[in-house]
Amino acid sequence: MLDMTSMKKLRADCNPDAVEQCLFGIQRQESGALEEFYYRTSASVYGFALSVLKNAQDAEDIMHDFYVVVWSAAEKYRPGGKPMAWVLTITRNLCLQKLREYRKKSDIPQEDWENYVRDNGNMSAEDKMILAECLRNLSDEERRIVLLHTVSGFKHREIAKFLELPLSTVLSKHNRALKKLRKIYGGEQ
Amino acid sequence: MKIKEAEGNAKIKQAYANAVPDICGVILSECEQKEGKVIVMTEEKKKRGFIKYLMAAASLVLVLGAGALLTNVYRLNYAVSSTVSLDVNPSIQITVNEKERVLEVKALNKDGGIVIGDMDFEGSDIDVTMNALIGSMLRKGYLNELANSILISVDNNDPAKGEQLQEKLTEKVNELLESDGFFGAVLGQTIRENGNLQQLAEQYGITQGKAQLIQQILDSTTGHTFEELAPLTINELNLIISTGTSSVEKVSSLGYASDKAYIGEDKAKETAFAHAGVSGQDILFYEMDMDLEKGVMVYEIEFKCGGFEYEYDIDAQTGEIIKNKKEVDDDFPAGSQASSGKTDDPDAGSQSPAPGTKTPDAGSQTPASGTNTPAAGTQSPGGNTATPPSSPQDGVGNAGGTSGILTLEQAKEIALNHAGQSASNVYFDKVELDHDHGMQKYEIEFIAGSTEYDYEIDAVTGAILKYDWDQDDDHMHISESSGNGAGGAVGTITSEQAKEIALNHAGQSASGVYFDKVDLDYDDGIQKYEVEFVSGNMEYDYEIDAITGAILKYDWDQD
Repeated sequence: MLDMTSMKKLRADCNPDAVEQCLFGIQRQESGALEEFYYRTSASVYGFALSVLKNAQDAEDIMHDFYVVVWSAAEKYRPGGKPMAWVLTITRNLCLQKLREYRKKSDIPQEDWENYVRDNGNMSAEDKMILAECLRNLSDEERRIVLLHTVSGFKHREIAKFLELPLSTVLSKHNRALKKLRKIYGGEQ
Repeated sequence: MKIKEAEGNAKIKQAYANAVPDICGVILSECEQKEGKVIVMTEEKKKRGFIKYLMAAASLVLVLGAGALLTNVYRLNYAVSSTVSLDVNPSIQITVNEKERVLEVKALNKDGGIVIGDMDFEGSDIDVTMNALIGSMLRKGYLNELANSILISVDNNDPAKGEQLQEKLTEKVNELLESDGFFGAVLGQTIRENGNLQQLAEQYGITQGKAQLIQQILDSTTGHTFEELAPLTINELNLIISTGTSSVEKVSSLGYASDKAYIGEDKAKETAFAHAGVSGQDILFYEMDMDLEKGVMVYEIEFKCGGFEYEYDIDAQTGEIIKNKKEVDDDFPAGSQASSGKTDDPDAGSQSPAPGTKTPDAGSQTPASGTNTPAAGTQSPGGNTATPPSSPQDGVGNAGGTSGILTLEQAKEIALNHAGQSASNVYFDKVELDHDHGMQKYEIEFIAGSTEYDYEIDAVTGAILKYDWDQDDDHMHISESSGNGAGGAVGTITSEQAKEIALNHAGQSASGVYFDKVDLDYDDGIQKYEVEFVSGNMEYDYEIDAITGAILKYDWDQD
């Protein structure tokens, strides 16, 4: 088991082999493995949930449910080197469930900056600027593509498969998104 | 540019990582508690019995182990007589000699190794060995309330002997598991030598016994591959076998596989019924299978109600509806349909639009409206195009009260109404209830004259989600009798002009490009040109408003 500092260093490191190893550990019900898994994948899970639900509280709930589900269902994971696709598919299913609940109650929460990002004390001014840029400039789909690419480490082809879009669409949307994020990526692309 | 991109990526990653609320501690403690709860939640009696059993198993090992030593059973008979393999998820292979003394206990996977630990069974009685191994599986949580199935396979050159040993062990293990309220499920089989299976077993790192079991499932069902089933646990395989309609021969089965890791049949049933808007007492036929769908365990639920046949696949873990299908029940007697309950009324009501043109035959088919071409066939000669669909809203209202979702008939009417067509002069290509990203929608396609209509209608609200009209080129100039304004107009710019607009925008000249496609299309009621061309390794894709010449959409792709 790792200590806290080295754990935090792993944040958002979605190396497939390492994530898969964590899942094996969770299958053996090792809480250390769950912890490492959390640090590696939570940015992907949270970010994706946020891109669907656009509400920090909901995204947090989804994230919570996700890890509890994984803890009791990790044996469902089939080794095959694509643990992040598995992670995000479960996340997506949980999000869809949530959306359905909302549709039933027809009270979809406000989509605004206030709800989108909740200050947890860890974010620098630059972090906030970056998230604001992503929210303001990108369509939901573009934001999802950027997120899957940068945070979850998906290849374009994997994004296409996951979002059920043609590869060419993913490529062009990603390109366009990068242009829209000039502030983050620097002036000329 | 590449460097900048990498920097930007890193920044975004960092920002998201920092934005995540740290609830790891909460999750960890909850998960640990949850584990504790599983035991606590089981009835007291069970828990106590469980521990008692473990102690009994442990002492059994000791007593028999001592006995074995005293009677000096450690014989020099090394000839392998039978090979017994145990599969749960851990796979273990035990070879015994003719006296049923253990020669070797071998772990076939990592979990198997954990179960065996540092126990040494050489020379022990097979019963004792089984006892100890199963005790270890229970202690280490491989056999528990959530996954309680175990597969015992015996391989002996003498099939009769093998079968005898297998029966004995199956019963023995079942007895062990059953004692004190732990409900186990034991599958037993005798291995028949098969080179092919042996090869598969080696390839997937499973026992030959498990390979044989999988092969039997494959032989009796369709739609699975060996590769897909190999990673499943015995409990999952057992669930597939025991709930399936096809029987797997040559496997003896005792007890029931646990589905406690899942939402349970009742919950799945409830989800499906609620979704279909039917109540349990109206169900005429019901069937549940557990199966593997794209790597996920699902409850496959089929039922008939009110003249429809429903089919659901529900994720056994999350309860998510993965697939659903609603079809007209062909077996349902047409006469009794009308009297079979409220759910049919809206169907009958919504049929009123074109009563004059219907033959009695078509009328009786009404509730079965669905997809059947015969109905469409009898309708087209009717040819009364003038009849506008009358007040579909009434129909919608009725349906809301009974089933929660629109009937096929109502969805068809919404589409027809929107397209300005009447049922009598269109041919329905496809009317399907589809489940997509958590939404139920009807997909409706029909043809009127030379125009193909394609609608997606929200099955709950009746909203038109998407529509698309396509006209064959040959008939481009035939104007529609449509009530919709967009339908009638023919583009005011030519395809040449559209090409020019696209080329100008792309900064290309006609001589330097190759045109892939120049089409006039209707989409969302707008006429537009779709222009695609290639220049060098760039692919350009334009959509140009056929009336204004505005660029609606463009896409440049580099190959």
